[in-house]
Amino acid sequence: MADYYTLVTCLPWLPEQMEKCSQLPLSRIALNRRLSLLDSHDHQGLAVAEALYHPNLANTQPDRERVLLWQKQIAELPSRVLQEVITQRLEIQTLLAALRYRRRPNTSAEHFYGYGRWTEWIRQHWKDPLFALETQIPLLERWGELFNQGHTGELQFEMDRYFWQQLLAVERSHHFSVETVVCFVLRWGIAERRLKSDADAALADFQLLSDTLLHNSGIQQQLNSLFEDINR
Amino acid sequence: MALGWAGLYGPMALGAIGSMIGCSLAGQAAAGALLETETGHGRYIGISAMPSSQSIYGIVVMFALSREITPENAPGLAGIGLLCGLALMFSAIYQGRSCASAINVSKIRPEIFGMSLAPAAIVEGFAVFAFIFALVISAGVPA
Repeated sequence: MADYYTLVTCLPWLPEQMEKCSQLPLSRIALNRRLSLLDSHDHQGLAVAEALYHPNLANTQPDRERVLLWQKQIAELPSRVLQEVITQRLEIQTLLAALRYRRRPNTSAEHFYGYGRWTEWIRQHWKDPLFALETQIPLLERWGELFNQGHTGELQFEMDRYFWQQLLAVERSHHFSVETVVCFVLRWGIAERRLKSDADAALADFQLLSDTLLHNSGIQQQLNSLFEDINR
Repeated sequence: MALGWAGLYGPMALGAIGSMIGCSLAGQAAAGALLETETGHGRYIGISAMPSSQSIYGIVVMFALSREITPENAPGLAGIGLLCGLALMFSAIYQGRSCASAINVSKIRPEIFGMSLAPAAIVEGFAVFAFIFALVISAGVPA
């Protein structure tokens, strides 16, 4: 119990609303230095939680082997609360994977694999637009709308905001515990990914803008007209 | 007779155990906050010493109960001493947790430092109740 008092108080503050997080309060190196206060068991649990919560984008489609691996990894997590948090995250991921999988040609419900309590339900309600889960997940209608419109960036934002609030609620209800630490690190991961993608988007915008400006600059226009005059 | 001796030393020992745990919890929180903040270090260390008052109350109750132990007064000493000691011990532990929470929130928003200490002060109030009424009741124990 007492081991987390120092660690929790040395973690910086992350805003309550994800959109207000405009910069990371500390680097990954500084965060890791502070997380070195965790014992090896908690460290391993944190690594598993991070890997499951922030999966590699290439490995998001669940299959039989991956689902079995997830089940094994979740069972190893150091707390039941964390197991529930990660399970809910993977269930939402399963739902999103089902929406994507259904769009592919020549797919059927029997071949869909997912994690969590809704997998069988999804197979049974494969023809329903949102697998008849709207009542269980109030935000699903909005997510489905964004998905169908192809607004993947906005969909990701909405989902991240949902996960952020969920993690914050767990952090608030567990003071000075491993749950507080893990949920903070998972929120930090969301913030890092968002800020990184924002930075990439900003860089792409800048590149586009600079290219446009260079192509339409006064010098370029003058050079173009000069070449045209010479050619005449 | 043994219970009488336990009752005599109980407030002191249990109060000290509570203070150790409480100060340790608040002290660990203060140590973490030192890493995260640039100023106000002194007050974090100051808060972490708050649960030490229960040891002092325990010492006073021990002196108030101090008398020759006889079969007649041993049950009374045991009842007052051990129950007062338990109250002091738990109040010190929970005060330490309250102090740790106060440190954690006031590092984020220093302006609520005073308000964040209110729960710890309320816990202290209950320790004072246990202390005062142990002194009052001890007057009725046969010498």
